[in-house]
Amino acid sequence: MATHFSIKRSGRHQAVDAPAWAATILAAFRNEDIRNLVFLPDTVMGRLLALAEAQEDDFFRLIGVHREEEAVGILSGLFMGGQRGAMLVQSSGLGNTLNALGSLAMAYRIPFPMLVSLRGELGEFNPAQLHMGRAVPGCLDALTIQHVTLRSEDHLGTILEGALKTCYTQEEPFGVLLSAQLTGWKPEK
Amino acid sequence: MTMDRLEATQVVVELAGDHPIIGGVGNSTFDLVAFDRPRNFYMWNSMGMASSIGLGLALARPDLRVIVLDGDGSILMNLSSLATEVTAGALNLVHVIWDNGGWEITGGQPAGSPFGVDLEAVARGCGFRRTATVHHVGAFRQVIDDAMNDSESWVIVGKVAAGDSPHRPSKNCVALRDRFLSALNG
Repeated sequence: MATHFSIKRSGRHQAVDAPAWAATILAAFRNEDIRNLVFLPDTVMGRLLALAEAQEDDFFRLIGVHREEEAVGILSGLFMGGQRGAMLVQSSGLGNTLNALGSLAMAYRIPFPMLVSLRGELGEFNPAQLHMGRAVPGCLDALTIQHVTLRSEDHLGTILEGALKTCYTQEEPFGVLLSAQLTGWKPEK
Repeated sequence: MTMDRLEATQVVVELAGDHPIIGGVGNSTFDLVAFDRPRNFYMWNSMGMASSIGLGLALARPDLRVIVLDGDGSILMNLSSLATEVTAGALNLVHVIWDNGGWEITGGQPAGSPFGVDLEAVARGCGFRRTATVHHVGAFRQVIDDAMNDSESWVIVGKVAAGDSPHRPSKNCVALRDRFLSALNG
């Protein structure tokens, strides 16, 4: 069981291709001692994960899950064990987390940022991504989970710093939604 | 042949020492309440999440053996977490699954093993090398003792009789969290 510790977790993505926003997010995480990145990948998050995994001091630990709801439990266990982490999922995956967010993270007040890359808003080619993607802000509102949407590089560091500070002050999850306006959309028609 | 779940839970607590125990939804937690200690975590309503909470804690605290008391219905809801326990590289989990053949608390509707689902085989298929299925409390005590003193993670399927637990934890979830947090982190 020990051999897979050396397996690269971020796949084919390369750190050199990581966009500026990914570096800004990781710097904000580092400032708040958020070391554990609990993820189910999409292509947007893949570039950030590659940059995280390439950090020379091995600051970040990448923990891949196979269904996004698992991430809520893992982040709760990490928190109770004294470690901070973040959830990195696509909007489709946020739909898989809802009961765990309500019954565990909110009821027991477990703080962690949720980085959610938004499908279905700008530049969407896939009709099956439209509805869950558009429902993300409403789902978070219904659960009374605070969230911000990042649309440009402007003030990105300040917004992230503020979101993380509020997250740990109120001891609840905090949604950080990544618009395709920031991350780009796929060329597919 | 099956075990009494309360009696088997007592065995786990006796052999746990100072190591934490995560109780799953419903009877897994309710029986654990009968052997209350600050290093017990009681989950109220997040069906399937006990294994994931245990994994997060195990990754944060490699100095501990982290025990999870799960139900068969619960792990069937979160089977992917068995794969994640292996792929995340946790070596310090002792994952107990109470198998009473169904969803007990909702009226004993059959699920899993009565239809041939073999949860130990699922765990082995996910990559666990240390697994057991146990029907007697004497054998169960030996397996838990082995698992607590090992340097790999275990999945242990405990065949238990049907029956509801009368015990309940506090309904103050934040107080449950805080007690567990301070017991683990001083």
